[in-house]
Amino acid sequence: MTEVPPAILVSRCPSCTLRYLPRAGPCPKCGAQTAVPYGLPPFGTVLARTELSSPAAGWPSPHRLALVELADAVRVLTIVDGPLPEAGSRVEVRRDGEVYHATAAPAAPAG
Amino acid sequence: MSAQVTSTGFARFGKRPESLVDLAAEAATQALEGVGRKPCDLLVVGNMLSGPLNGVENLVSRVANRISLETSAGLRVEAASATGAAAFHAGVLAVESGRYERALVVAAEKMTDRPTPEVAAALARSLHPTEQVAGATMPALAALVTERYVQRYSPDPSVVDRIPVEARRASSRNPYAQFRTPVTEEEVRASRSIAPPLCLLHCSSIADGAVAVVVESGSGAATVRGIGQAFEALPIVDRPDLTTFASSRSAADRAFSSAGISRKEIGVIEAHDAFAPFLLIDLEDLGFAPPGGGSAWFSGRGPGPEERVPLNPSGGVLGRGHPVGASGLAAIAEVARQLRGEAGPTDTGTHPRFGIAQSVGGLASHNFVTILGEAPG
Repeated sequence: MTEVPPAILVSRCPSCTLRYLPRAGPCPKCGAQTAVPYGLPPFGTVLARTELSSPAAGWPSPHRLALVELADAVRVLTIVDGPLPEAGSRVEVRRDGEVYHATAAPAAPAG
Repeated sequence: MSAQVTSTGFARFGKRPESLVDLAAEAATQALEGVGRKPCDLLVVGNMLSGPLNGVENLVSRVANRISLETSAGLRVEAASATGAAAFHAGVLAVESGRYERALVVAAEKMTDRPTPEVAAALARSLHPTEQVAGATMPALAALVTERYVQRYSPDPSVVDRIPVEARRASSRNPYAQFRTPVTEEEVRASRSIAPPLCLLHCSSIADGAVAVVVESGSGAATVRGIGQAFEALPIVDRPDLTTFASSRSAADRAFSSAGISRKEIGVIEAHDAFAPFLLIDLEDLGFAPPGGGSAWFSGRGPGPEERVPLNPSGGVLGRGHPVGASGLAAIAEVARQLRGEAGPTDTGTHPRFGIAQSVGGLASHNFVTILGEAPG
């Protein structure tokens, strides 16, 4: 049986309903102090991506990054593992500590 | 209380052997001599990376000591790559308050002593921690912004390649610029990939340099007509629209609101093109072009050739080079020179009455707009 990748933990603001990645501090939109955690499917769409041939000190070259949109319009900046995906393609996202990684994923099942 | 720019000074941008403090002193001395060494009662120093890159702190004291400036007050200002503009705004606020008569504003940066990856890491400190831990850099995020802009508006790709060409054409005339030779569109496209779709010549350079201006009470050809600044969400994932910089739009609205003039009256523009595509976004955010219309504006410069508004006559950030703490003040100083008839080789010949300078801080999280021109009434 295929292992199911873990959900991506995000927060929902009970005041303004904004959904966002977990963070210290209040809701980035309305400042509400409480957030309701929930999980999103760990898949998203690449909005934009690039590849650094001269990354900052301490990072290997090339270093690939993708801006990914998960469900509920939550966006995450990810390190790309593997080849650089095309904008609009589907990726699987996983969290490793404070860093998010993206890898190519098959197209979403129809229906 | 009205404030005006009465003198400017530049330490040429590029790879310089002089220290940070020496570069600041070079520009400051020129500006002071421009007002006959009249006493300044405030010293404002703009700098971003003296600690990480140069091992220098207490910079205001260091500069004041180096130029033997007897001044009653001083402060240091930092706003990432908009530092120079922020320093100017601080000086203006001080003089407009009536508490200070004459402020010497100096913005300087020394970046070429350290290896490029180390400089890139220092610059990345402007980004949100969640972006830093992912190894993001300024060029990386600029590339993502560029992709989103291109997806939405499909600008003519040759326009983006022409931006560095025009920048270098202008900076070739600027004795204070780093880049004094032209480039072609082919050379831009063939330059080394930095963060696709951005190539080396689409990106501003690491450079040393300094700028200084004297801001004093009164009015003249370079009266401060309006200043505005604004923040935007720091992490790019928190910005619903990456094809525009909300901080620039807010800053421009605030500056024009206090200036009491319309955009049609602006006769010279210095906009922040640390990355070539940003110039298109800047033109839209400042209100000179509609959303997505930046490339048409850049190509045509307005409805007819007689309405060309000089854009970045200094060469902009791309042509001048980008000592990050100084660039914002360089744009303002160039506008002041154009208005005062002191631009010399970069003079547009159009005798503008009003000019605007725009500066982007970090990945556009803290932007500044400055409007100078003839006094009201």
